[in-house]
Amino acid sequence: MAEKPIEPIHQFRINDIFNIGNFGGDGTPGSGVHIAFTNSALFMVLTVGLIAAFLILGSNRRAIVPNRLQLMTEMSYEFIANMVRNTAGTEGMKFFPMVFSLFMFILVANLFGMFPYFFTVTSHLIVTVCMALLVFFTVVIYGFWKNGLKFFKLFVPSGIPWFIIWLVVPIEIISFLSRPLSHSLRLWGNILAGHIVLKVFGGMVVALLAAGAWGVVAILPLGMAVALTGLEVLVAALQAFVFAVLTCVYLNDAIHPGH
Amino acid sequence: MSEPRDDNRSETGSGAPKVTSDLGARIARARGQRAAEAVTEQTRQGDMSGMSRGFRLASEFVAAILVGAGLGYIIDMFLPTRPWATVVLLLLGFAAGVLNVVRATADMNAATAVPEDTPALRDDEDD
Repeated sequence: MAEKPIEPIHQFRINDIFNIGNFGGDGTPGSGVHIAFTNSALFMVLTVGLIAAFLILGSNRRAIVPNRLQLMTEMSYEFIANMVRNTAGTEGMKFFPMVFSLFMFILVANLFGMFPYFFTVTSHLIVTVCMALLVFFTVVIYGFWKNGLKFFKLFVPSGIPWFIIWLVVPIEIISFLSRPLSHSLRLWGNILAGHIVLKVFGGMVVALLAAGAWGVVAILPLGMAVALTGLEVLVAALQAFVFAVLTCVYLNDAIHPGH
Repeated sequence: MSEPRDDNRSETGSGAPKVTSDLGARIARARGQRAAEAVTEQTRQGDMSGMSRGFRLASEFVAAILVGAGLGYIIDMFLPTRPWATVVLLLLGFAAGVLNVVRATADMNAATAVPEDTPALRDDEDD
């Protein structure tokens, strides 16, 4: 263990579990699209499976006086339903399934990542970008479908004199286009940074213990690692919440454009 | 969920019809509570940890600049305007970043609303 250097990035490596096949390409290695069932895909499946089991087992009793599991599922429903109603209005409830799915997926995937040797799905930018783009395109498509050209009012704040408007509109458009980027970067950055820091402190404990008499000092990074683990659990839940809140805020713009 | 329904349940038999008769009133009361809960929920959302608050603002700011510069670069690739679209859109991106940060902080401040009975500060400006 002491000879092997501790790579903080190693935990994010994607491995094939079984190969599905190569599509396209001209037969030379590296060409075409390589599709495989990876450890990332495995943990996505596990995440969805756990959520489905939790919700199905929790709600199939349909008791008037709920037991603990049913209470937990009802609380998770109420929590997101209240959030959607507060930020996007009652009309926003038609997007409740999407917001709830996103919230539960991110929450469970983040919490899965807190187990040692588990892969963290949300630590890969492609995953968070896909989710952010899903929200972005939902907002754009639904906004145009519901409001037509009035959706452009989103870029033209009311009460602006005409000689300022040509400056404000490009700023508003850039601000709108930057949403999926900040939406996805925030979740990815928090999770990635947290896991790297945890690994670095954990690696320091091992390195110090291997250094003989200096092993006594290893208690310091160990304490940090313990504290950071608690913080990371908080971050995991908080980032799922923030992602869902911002989804609601953006959907609110699609439902009620114009500030 | 926090309905005190045990008071009605305590006397069974005579209490049972009463439970259903005032059901409409209780539903109305619960609906009213939802609005009140919304306010407390909003204040609770306000105390996110400082790190996530900072990360939110930083990502809002950086994202707008990146998008602005990227858009400008793409325009420069296709139009003979090099390097002006990048320069102008980068600056507009800065402005959009500031706008994003101002909006995000306004949201955060709205979440931690000042209680209504807080005494207002005296207006020092002599206008």
